Formats: sequence, C-alpha cells, structure tokens
Amino acid sequence: MTQPRTCYVDISRYDPERGDQYPTMQRVQVPYDDSTSVLDVLQYVKEQVDSSLSYRWSCRMAICGSCGVMVNGIPKLGCKDFVRDYVAHKGVGRDHAANDAPALTIEPLAHFTGERDLVVNMDEFLTHLEAVKPYIIDPASRPNNPSAATHSQTPAQLARYQQFANCINCGLCYAACPQFGLNPEFVGPAAIALAHRYNLDSRDHGKHERMQVLNTHDGVWSCTFVGFCSDVCPKGVDPAAAVNQGKVESAKSMLIQLFKGSSIGDSRS
Amino acid sequence: MQQHEYDVVVVGGGGAGLRAAIAAAQASDGNSRIALLSKVYPMRSHTVAAEGGAAAVTRDDDSLQAHFEDTVAGGDWLAEQGVVDYFVKHAHRELVQMEHWGCPWSRQPNGNVQVRRFGGMKTERTWFAADKTGFHMLHTLYQTALQFDAITRFDEYFVLDIGVAEDGDEREVTGVLALDIKTGALHCIRAGAVIMATGGAGRVFKFNTNGGIVTGDGMAIAYRNGVPLRDMEFVQYHPTGLPGSGILITEASRGEGGVLVNKDGYRYLQDYELGPETPLGKPQNKYMELGPRDKLSQAFWHEQQRGRTGKHGTSDVVYLDLRHLGKAFLEERLPFICELAKAYVNVDPVHEPIPIRPAVHYTMGGILTDAQCETPIQGLFAAGECASVGLHGANRLGSNSLTELLVFGRLAGEQAWQRANARRNTPAKSDDMTAKTQYWQQRISAMQQNPKHAAVSSWPQLKQDLVATMERGCGIYRDEAGLQQSLNDIHELKVAYQRMHVADSSRGYNTDLLQAIELGFSLDVAEATCLAALERRESRGAHQRLETEYQQRNDEQFLKHSLVRWRDEQPATLEWQRVDTTLSAPKVRAYGEQGNAQASTPNRTQGGKV
Amino acid sequence: MSYKPELTGRWWLKHGHFKRYMLREATVIPLVFLLCSLLAGVFSLQDVERFSQWQAYMAHPLVIIGHTVALGAALYHAATFFVLFPRVMPIRIANYTLPARLMVAGQWAAVLAVALLCLWLVTGGRV
Ligand SMILES: Cc1cc2nc3c(=O)[nH]c(=O)nc-3n(C[C@H](O)[C@H](O)[C@H](O)COP(=O)(O)OP(=O)(O)OC[C@H]3O[C@@H](n4cnc5c(N)ncnc54)[C@H](O)[C@@H]3O)c2cc1C
Ligand code: SF4
Ligand code: FES
Repeated sequence: MTQPRTCYVDISRYDPERGDQYPTMQRVQVPYDDSTSVLDVLQYVKEQVDSSLSYRWSCRMAICGSCGVMVNGIPKLGCKDFVRDYVAHKGVGRDHAANDAPALTIEPLAHFTGERDLVVNMDEFLTHLEAVKPYIIDPASRPNNPSAATHSQTPAQLARYQQFANCINCGLCYAACPQFGLNPEFVGPAAIALAHRYNLDSRDHGKHERMQVLNTHDGVWSCTFVGFCSDVCPKGVDPAAAVNQGKVESAKSMLIQLFKGSSIGDSRS
Repeated sequence: MQQHEYDVVVVGGGGAGLRAAIAAAQASDGNSRIALLSKVYPMRSHTVAAEGGAAAVTRDDDSLQAHFEDTVAGGDWLAEQGVVDYFVKHAHRELVQMEHWGCPWSRQPNGNVQVRRFGGMKTERTWFAADKTGFHMLHTLYQTALQFDAITRFDEYFVLDIGVAEDGDEREVTGVLALDIKTGALHCIRAGAVIMATGGAGRVFKFNTNGGIVTGDGMAIAYRNGVPLRDMEFVQYHPTGLPGSGILITEASRGEGGVLVNKDGYRYLQDYELGPETPLGKPQNKYMELGPRDKLSQAFWHEQQRGRTGKHGTSDVVYLDLRHLGKAFLEERLPFICELAKAYVNVDPVHEPIPIRPAVHYTMGGILTDAQCETPIQGLFAAGECASVGLHGANRLGSNSLTELLVFGRLAGEQAWQRANARRNTPAKSDDMTAKTQYWQQRISAMQQNPKHAAVSSWPQLKQDLVATMERGCGIYRDEAGLQQSLNDIHELKVAYQRMHVADSSRGYNTDLLQAIELGFSLDVAEATCLAALERRESRGAHQRLETEYQQRNDEQFLKHSLVRWRDEQPATLEWQRVDTTLSAPKVRAYGEQGNAQASTPNRTQGGKV
Repeated sequence: MSYKPELTGRWWLKHGHFKRYMLREATVIPLVFLLCSLLAGVFSLQDVERFSQWQAYMAHPLVIIGHTVALGAALYHAATFFVLFPRVMPIRIANYTLPARLMVAGQWAAVLAVALLCLWLVTGGRV
C-alpha cells in the first residue's frame, strides 16, 4: 500500500545434477508488503529472478499441505507465514535493503532427505502414515452397500476425534521432532494422531490392529514428549497429545496382556 | 523409457480420481491392476480446498424432483436432463458411502447428518463437514483407497499425453505417457481404459479461487487428441473471493446468514431482482444472498460500474458481514473462514465485515462425454471438473460438484473396468505411443535448448499475458470486441510459446519445465473458452454478453451445447450440439420474488415425468 | 542423488523450545542429588556419629544450594508436566470435557495440599 519495501532472503539451493553435495544459500532481494507470504517470496524468485528454484505448493490457502519449509529454523507453511512478522520483529532489513542481513532464511523441512532446493522426500512421511491403517475398519460393514443408512454419531462423539482429523499431512511436525530426526523409523506425530483419530471414531473397530503398530518401540514409545510438534502444527491438531494419549492406551493394552497373557495390542475397551 | 501394463489408468488423485479408482477396484473384486497417477500427492489435489458441502436430497420435505429442477434451472436449461436425473437419484447413496468410509460429516444433536442451505437450492440438502468438506472428503477417499491392493499409486507423475489406436473410424485409447517428476524420466503406461480426472482450469484466469495446479491439463490432452471440449464459455465466478489472493470465502457463510453490503452498508442485491430484502439472520433459499452465483457476481459488476464498491488495496470490493452471527456460532460453523480472513486480509469476521470480490471459481465445461462418462475415444473416460458429462449446463449450483465427483467418479470407474475387462484378451493394437514419446522428448529438449537470446520470452511472462487477457476479454460480462481481442492475443501467445525458453536443464523436480508445459495446456483451453464465448451470442447462466441484442437468453438459436475442436496449428473450430430437454422444457430462470411467483404458476413441463 | 541431513549431538541448541525441553529433562540431575542426600540420611540413622556427620553435611551451604536448585527443578518439572497432563488424559464427564485450565489449577491445588501436609508433619502439628 505504501512504498514497496524490500528485504533480503536466503534460500537453500541444492541440485545434485549440477554436482552439489550439500545445499548452499542463495541471497535474493525481494519486495514485500503486509500481505506477502513466504510462498509469495518463492513465487517472486521463481518468476522474476531464477526460474530453476524448485519447491512444492498448490492451494496457497493453508489446506493442501504442500508448502512446508523451515523459516529461520522453524517449520512453517510457506503460504501461511508472512514476511511482515519477520521484518518488524527482527528489525533487520526494515524499509530498505541497505541492511543486507537476511530477514528470512528459507530451507527445506528438517529431518527429511533433501531432493532438490526446497523439495524433500515426502514418501518418508507417507509410508508411516499408511502403516497405521488410517481408515474405518468394520468387519460388519458390507462393502458398497448403498441402501444402508448412516451410522448415528452425536456431535459429542464427533468432537472426540475431530481435532485429530484436521491434519493436512504437511509434515511440519516431523521436521520439529528430534526423535524422528534421530530415528527415521519412528512412526511419528501425524501418523499416530491419525491412528488415534480412527481409534476414537465411534464407527471404527480397528483399534486392535492399529495398536500393533503403536505399541512398538518405533510406535508411541519413541516419543519423549518434546512437544514441539504441537507448537508448529498449523492446524491445531496437537499431535503430541495424540501420541501421549496413545501411550496411555498402549500401557493399558500391555498391562492387560500381562494379566491375560494374550498378544500385544489387545486393548479393545 | 519404462513400460508398464495396467487394466485401468486413472489420471488425477482428486475426489473424482480416487472415487473412480476405488470403484474400479471394487467392480473387479480386486482382480485388476489400477494405476492412479497424479502430478501432486493425492491429498494436495484441489478438492482439498472445497469448503461448503455436497448436495443430496435428504430431508423428508425434499424431493428428487426438486433437486432436479433446481439443477436444471440453475444451469439455465443447458444441462443434459437424463444425466441430472441419474445424478439426483444416486447422490444420497454416495454421501452415505462416504459416511461409511469415515467422512466426519457434521451432525445434528440426535446423531443424524446435518444439512445446510446453499445458493440456488430450494431447501437444505447440503451435507458438510464444518467448513472443510472437500478436505475431509479428499482425505477420507485417499485413506480409504489405501486398503485396495489393486490400486498402485504413481505420486508426482505428470501426464503429458494419451496413446490412441486408430482403426478406420474407431479410435481407442491405449494408455498414457507420463513424466516422473522426481527423475524426469518418461513412462509409458498402457491400459485397457483411461480415466481423466484432472480437475478444472481456473488458473487460466488471473483472479481465481483455484490452486496453482488447476491448469486444465486433462482437458487439453483430450482436446489435442480429438475430443471436443463442450460448453467451455461457461466459467463460474464465485461472488466471494478475498481481494489480492482470490482465496475463497465459502457460500456457506451466506447460507448460515452472512449478508453482502456495498461501501454504504446497503444490501445491494435487492436492486438486482433477488429481493425483497430478507431479515438479518433469517436467510431464505433463493433470495438475496442465496441467489445463484452468476447473478451475485453480475450484481457486483453493476455496483462497481455505479461506483458503490469500496477499496481494499488495489481491488474494488464489497463486504461480507458475519458479525451478527456471533463469535461462538462462527467458531463452530465457519472456523476456517475466520482463520483465512485473519491470515490473508487481517480481518476478524467477529468484529469486522470481510472485504470480498468475485473470482473465477469453476469450469462448467470440459471434456465431452456421454452419460456413461465415456468420450468419443473408446476407453477414454472423464469425470469430475475436467469432464462435461452435462450436469451443470450454463451454471453450476454450489455443492453439486463435490457430489458429482462421487456419482460420476464411481460410474466412470465401473465403466472403465468393464471396458478394460472386455479388452483384456484382445490383441494389442498398434498405436501412436512411440511417435508421441518422440514428440515429447523433442518438444522438451527444444524448450530447454531454445537459445535465450532468440527466444521472445519465458513462461512467467506469457502466463501473465494470458491470464490478463482472459480477465479482460472473458470476464463476468463479455462483448464481441473484447473476446475477439483476447482470441487474437491467445493466437499470438501460442506462436510465442513455440519459441519459449526454459532455463532449468535438470531432469529431477524441474518445476520450471512443468509450469511451461502446463502453460501450453492452458493456452489451448483458453482458446476454446474464448472461441465458444465469442460464438454464443446470447446471455445464459454464467455467460453474459453486454451487447443489447445479446442480453437475453435466445433458445431458438442457442439452446445448444458448444463443441470446440482442436485443429493443431490452425485456429480451433466450433460446432453446436443438441441439448436433452425431454424432462423439463425451458422456462424463465428467476430467483427472489419473481422466482416465487413463477413457482406458483402451473408447471409448463411438456416432456413427461422425472 | 539426495542428501540426508544428520542430526548432530547439539541439535537441541538450535532453539528455545528444545533448550526448555532439555532443561526439563535435566531437572533429573538435582533431583538425583537430593535423593542421594536423603538416602544417605536413612543409612546414617544406624549410628549417632554418622547421623551428626550427615546433619553437618546437610547444613553445608553448597548442599543447601543444591537442594534449593532441586526444589526449583521439581517445581519447573511440575509446571511443565501439569500443562501436559490435560492433553494426555483429557477428562470427559458425560459430554463435557473438563477445561485444561481447571485441571492445571487442580494439580497445583494438590501440590499445595501436600506441601501443607508436610509442613504440618514437620512442625509437629503446631501450625
Ligand atoms: C475453493 C473452492 C471451493 C469449492 N467448494 C465447493 C463446495 O463447497 N461444494 C462443491 O460441490 N464444490 C466445490 N468446489 C468445486 C469442487 O471442489 C471441484 O470441482 C472439485 O473438487 C474438482 O475435483 P476433481 O477431482 O475433478 O479435481 P481436483 O481435485 O482438482 O484433482 C485434479 C487431480 O488431477 C491431477 N492432475 C492434473 N493434471 C495432471 C497431469 N497433467 N498429470 C497428472 N495428474 C494431473 C492433480 O494432481 C489432481 O490430483 C470448490 C472449488 C474450489 C476451488
Ligand atoms: S499434525 Fe499438524 S504439523 Fe503434523 S502433519 Fe498434521 S497438520 Fe502438519
Ligand atoms: S500451498 Fe497449500 S498449504 Fe501452502
């Protein structure tokens, strides 16, 4: 609205096809106003400065989960993180670019394998997500039976899992989790939150099967409740809560197993 | 060059693609091989952004007839009525199926599914999951699809073309040619049937509610292979996009009681045949804010002409006022809207009205299919927003399209499996796949090798010119001169496109190249849109002409679908196709009080029952 | 054709949240110290001389500082733990979820009650 202001931004660049072993930083001067998001910055760089910059995006409204990056070391959705919040607070690069300390440093999501520039290997996340059987398991359901009525589910029953159903699979929580950084086999915050979402759904009968995955060391027990995952989650899912509620469930199922001598994960309650 | 063999290839991992893949897997009892290709991970597809809901007749006081009439009238009698009839009859069961798969539909206190009001719908029949319906549907479908071993996903595979075998007049699809984004390698995936489910083309316009991936790829691919694009002139403007970004503020915010005011705080819709004014907090279906989208967007245009709009940044805006609904209600029913307004225009809807303006939202037209979702190329199906099965006519009613993804996604999946199964043991025909592979290899390396200095431009420039000319000439109101100008611009851009340079020469994650290819698809789709808009010299639904003689609907000449055909280097050509109006003869399309008056006069339907 | 970033041993120095987390984990050190002191006290009960040695040890300024740190650590750990508790074990009565703030307050009330009980025991019921 006022004079266009600019600031400096450092962007992590990495292209193995050009022989890069490790990422390097590219410094760019970008214009911004009150509504400029980190994604807008990337878009500007791609369209005006260097079209070879690679990053993922689509919806630009914080719902598709594509655009996760590290901004000044913290996992963020590029489209929901604004330059205004950095320049004002940090006092760097304000109003003009004379001060060429970068206001923002944009890097790929931490803990994932870097593929190119800001693109990381998302399969590392989705494999975990898919491992927890995130779908309604109901032995009684007749597949594709159109005449059947809906289940009854009261707003209170819905509220039990709704928060955990809001995950957009952005992976920010994995980039925030040091345990995932140390042990890539850890099922991780979002996947456990999703398992928990189905476990809490009044229509589901698959908790037993999901607990097999959650009960293991790489399941809930890798978590030491650092809690940063929930801080960075852009959708208020609170995956740390899900993981630790999962620990309670897992402990219960192990105790029951101890007394009954049945198989791990038998925690139908 | 890697080769793969499948029974069915689904292109697109949005709502339509996932539903189709599941249907094909179920129809074959798991005895099939289904490939699901998508240029983004399925849950990134733009279905994720749909907020409002999905329509199906649900309440006892509602009827299939009513849903049928709303849809046909909403589409200004350009819908295929047999298709609409099939749709309304299958809508409910599909939403129930979603419920069984775990979709977290919002509920009434007694545990039944809740329905809400939506524009152009006579009664409450829109199912919703808070204000993230598309998000929940897409994740439910993606997660459900994980159970099917028959489905193999090819995430981040970019489809470039389809293979076609020609046998006299018969043309058959033989598979797809795709680029693995991660490695840049080309893959040839052969199949007995291919389903296009690539979504709309809203990004052809500058100001839109669509995600960056919505570039009309599938439409262009089918079109270049000889399938006509139908009814492309009908582009829906959504009345409430955020200024600047175009991010959508759902129609449900009006369904729940939000009102539109101009800069003077006046509810201007009453001046545009949508009144009388309904009391605050008492929205009434089909009146005022719950009129159809085209009428509301057109009203904005008139307000703008009269200088009664406000300013937000550089945009002209009107305001969506939700304040009277109260904080608690907004947080329960419209939490995402509150989040979006705060983040992107720095407005808290609890305390301030949200600035909004119309934005391109939906492409009613698309790949021509029959009522079974099959295109003129045998074995090539299309479903979802990229298809023109004939449901929406000249204007789509909000919340019909999410249901469309399910009803026609399933139908396409089942039909495709039947087609593929029938072809399973027939000998492979010789097709053009090798030639196409060579073409694309050459095309790609040409783009990367075009010397920078000789090239006129790069894709960002061409793209900016394209979206700007579309906005200018092909907006809410159109006229001959503007359309002709846009069409000329597009022809020039197509020439320039041939000489465009792509700077990035790497193979893996070359988004520079992908956006350049997408622009090529968009140019073709834009040409078809402009041509059809130019030739339709009447006003109908979302297509409104400014010239006095074209301001009315003209059934005598234009109660017809437009079909645009691709002519390679030559300009596209247009022909007209008959519309199925056997179930309900065209009437005047009216809303507000006039609509009410019309509804009470005897039904003049000639052609039988629904 | 890709790189895997390695997490070094100093990952937790990267920002405040991790440092606070490490601090929470580190509260165990002063608490172990306190526990050892108390254990030593239990063993010293066998012998009057050793008991007076232990008393002298407990009165040493450094030890007092150590134990004050332990008290601080315990309170810090409690503070961090109490806010986590409602998230780990949300309490639902009928359709109503107990607000987190109430649960945190309840836990502090319990701490206060235990502290008062100890005070009462130590002072022999004179307060
Ligand atoms: C903001 C917004 C809100 C909406 N709200 C509603 C609503 O409330 N109710 C309603 O009924 N409708 C709504 N709509 C409309 C509706 O959401 C869309 O019409 C519908 O989601 C389209 O789904 P689809 O499956 O056809 O396509 P999409 O979901 O767009 O999916 C397209 C898929 O095709 C893939 N693809 C595209 N090109 C290629 C290629 N070249 N190679 C490989 N893969 C490719 C993409 O990766 C993607 O997976 C809304 C639309 C928008 C934009
Ligand atoms: S839990 Fe939150 S941070 Fe983690 S993937 Fe889901 S939305 Fe992203
Ligand atoms: S672009 Fe979709 S979440 Fe940011």
